[in-house]
Amino acid sequence: MKKNLQHPPLSVLRPLRVLLAGNPNSGKTSLFNALTGARQKVGNYPGVTVERREGRWRIPGQDVLVRDLPGTYSLTAYSPEERIAQDELTHGDHDVVVVVADATVLRRSLMFLLQVMQLGANTVLCLNMSDEAHKAGQVVDTLWLGELLGIPVVETAAARGQGLDDLKAAVLSAATRTGPGVSAEVAAALGGITQPTAGGEASVERMRRLAAAADLLLARVLVAAPRPNARRLTTRIDAVLAHRLLGLPLFLLVMYGVFWVTFTLGAAPMDWIDAAVGGLGSLVTAHWPGSPDSALLSLLVDGIIAGVGGVVIFLPNIVLLFLCLSLLEDTGYLARAAYLTDRVLSRVGLHGKSFLPLVTGFGCSIPGIMATRTIESERDRLATMMVLPLMSCGARLPIWLLIIPAVFPAAWRTTAMWSVYVFGIVLALGLALVLRGTILKGDATPFVLELPPYRLPTLRDVLGRMADRSLVYLRKAGTVILAISIVLWALSTYPRKEHFDVDDALAGGAVFTEQEIVARQAAESLAYSVAGRIGRALEPVFSPLGYDWRIVTASLGAFAAKEVFVSQMSIVYALGDDADPGDVGERLRADYSPLVGVSLIIFLLVGTPCMATVAVTRRESGSWRWAWLQFGGLTALAWVLAAAVYNLGRLVA
Amino acid sequence: MPANAALPALTPALEDYLESVFRLVTEHGFARVRDIAEARGVKPGSVSPAMRRLEEAGLIRYERREYVALTDTGAAAARRIYSRHRVLRRFFGTFLGLPPEIAEADACVAEHSLSAATLDRLVRLFEYMEVCPDGRDHLRHFHQCSRVQEGADHCPHHCPALHGLGERNTVMSVADLRPGQKGRVRQIEGQGAIRQRLLDMGILPDTTIELARIAPTGDPMWIRLQGFELALRKNEAAAVLIEAL
Repeated sequence: MKKNLQHPPLSVLRPLRVLLAGNPNSGKTSLFNALTGARQKVGNYPGVTVERREGRWRIPGQDVLVRDLPGTYSLTAYSPEERIAQDELTHGDHDVVVVVADATVLRRSLMFLLQVMQLGANTVLCLNMSDEAHKAGQVVDTLWLGELLGIPVVETAAARGQGLDDLKAAVLSAATRTGPGVSAEVAAALGGITQPTAGGEASVERMRRLAAAADLLLARVLVAAPRPNARRLTTRIDAVLAHRLLGLPLFLLVMYGVFWVTFTLGAAPMDWIDAAVGGLGSLVTAHWPGSPDSALLSLLVDGIIAGVGGVVIFLPNIVLLFLCLSLLEDTGYLARAAYLTDRVLSRVGLHGKSFLPLVTGFGCSIPGIMATRTIESERDRLATMMVLPLMSCGARLPIWLLIIPAVFPAAWRTTAMWSVYVFGIVLALGLALVLRGTILKGDATPFVLELPPYRLPTLRDVLGRMADRSLVYLRKAGTVILAISIVLWALSTYPRKEHFDVDDALAGGAVFTEQEIVARQAAESLAYSVAGRIGRALEPVFSPLGYDWRIVTASLGAFAAKEVFVSQMSIVYALGDDADPGDVGERLRADYSPLVGVSLIIFLLVGTPCMATVAVTRRESGSWRWAWLQFGGLTALAWVLAAAVYNLGRLVA
Repeated sequence: MPANAALPALTPALEDYLESVFRLVTEHGFARVRDIAEARGVKPGSVSPAMRRLEEAGLIRYERREYVALTDTGAAAARRIYSRHRVLRRFFGTFLGLPPEIAEADACVAEHSLSAATLDRLVRLFEYMEVCPDGRDHLRHFHQCSRVQEGADHCPHHCPALHGLGERNTVMSVADLRPGQKGRVRQIEGQGAIRQRLLDMGILPDTTIELARIAPTGDPMWIRLQGFELALRKNEAAAVLIEAL
């Protein structure tokens, strides 16, 4: 352990750097949260999309910087997470490595620990979830274990905040003192094995030696082994939740519950935010010091406040969806969900782990695409990302609420709404199959998923996770969407029309109410603007789908954010942007055949994923190539499907 | 075979000469000494002593100077040697999948050292492999297997024979377990990420694995080992060879 020899003495000037390493499900993040509380920062490792979590651990007299490594089972670098963990452990600038082990899975944890110790850092073994292990009847002689390993060993139960003081003492002692190294007995069992090179072929011999050393340690220090029926409760729950026949229906029920919570409970706060955004706009307008026709005011109110507000309005949905998913994840149910859905997803070349991102996509594509990070295989990950926009997101709901009542008789509306979602899912699965058979061709990736025991989640962990993800969404709204809102505002505002037809009409003796005049001017402005001109220019492209320039212009808005389609439609129809969707629906019904409505639903469901989705795909896939393929491919597919439906429908009708 | 008695007297070299004469006679209707020399790749001068021996054994006779013919006994013996050669060549070539040159060379060597009984069985095996539909499948699988061993694509079958485990009847994979049944790990197959993942999870030789349940569609499978539980696809499960307990 040469590193220790050069180690500087503890100093108050330089923070002590501590890495947390361990298997997934070892309660590492829970421990991290317990140590750092709210003093943490979530970012990305440069160049890869693996989350980097750092936080400060307050120890009197010593500043400690804790970094939570991605959960890994080994250091052989197959997935991006493993590569990062290995890199950090090998080359990182750290003083102490805390190996967080699930005390209920000792053998595997010790094998991982021995691999980490071989990297030569000052190591501390933290037997986490010791409360669970004790309850199962397991007793470990930690002092002896520490002696045999030559490192401090502590027991913690991070979810209950137990053992943190012991851990603190162990970390400080490990930072100042070089351990004596593993005992001769353990070293003999290990037999001089070395760390494999990155990407090297797994060696049974190496793992066997690690296992032999772990077994030797256990034989010495395991005072009482856990009862064989320690997982009885989990097994009983699984007998129902993972049941051959009941499992899937129960899973669908759970998902239904998640959506109910997301959309029903989310409705009220959405109204508040809507009102607040509207109120803010009015407030700014009312207190505007300059002219009410000022371009800056328009930018602020119509561009920024309305644009960002239109995204923030989905925050309640997003927060609730993430709350539910965090709960499901922390209890252990998501692993069962992956088990239950893997078969269906693997048939189309996806992965059980694609399931969570796809479901998240019903809330919003952005967090869904970000959630694809958990998928190890690059191909599976890209395929999931590419088809994710087909999950009908929350922002598309207002569009369906506008078009469906305008097109379908009352009795059919629920079925129509349901069909839109199902159509999206089926198309996504089909497209995934095509992608995995063509540009993302490759062998099926291994699906080896641990099914942890069911655990009661802690409020801190669930809320923390929810907050992390929601913040990412908000940050998007603050950056990409802000920029897009400004661009879109400019497109639909400039060039400004100085002379309105409605004024001529008024001069010619026509009579309009004040409201009508404003609305007509808005409609003329939009038609005159770049957006309106683009709409007209693109009209021939979209006429095979049954659209006129109005729909095309409104669809340009949908590219910025899907729900903008609705407000753009009300503007082009000169109904004012606060028009009741029912009124817009009336106009739709009057101007277009139901077939155009269906064609429009298909186009907006399949095509033009919003700009924020394209931006986040660019970031998560690491190249514009995939982002534009997603945008272009889906839009082309949407065009073909919508054109086919529209023209076949006309033939039949 | 009654004529068998005459054969042990012949050395491999003489058998080869007899065979060459047979092939020349069959092809051209006659065999000249210099053709024989050419076929065997020797000087014409070396042929005469061999021919004299064969004449003494009553297998050939000189029609004229330089022209050799087979006696009835000689023709029978030669035919048997030649068919042995052909069977072996086909065996090495078509069956074992060796390149023609190696098949030809090895057939030349082996035809002299195999007993008639062994040869007879080989012919039968060959016929079974070529004619019986099962046999043809086996032959196909065998060829696939050889390619796999030479590093080609992955074999869909998992057989212990590849690894010299031998006991075919007791070795199976986790994918063959029934819910509630246990097995002890013998061997981890597969390559790359799959193998690594399985090893990392502590699935090592001598680990005991229990199949907890199988998903409704038969895939993935849910296993228990060493105090924890894993879900893995049938594909991965098939890579873990076990001995049923």
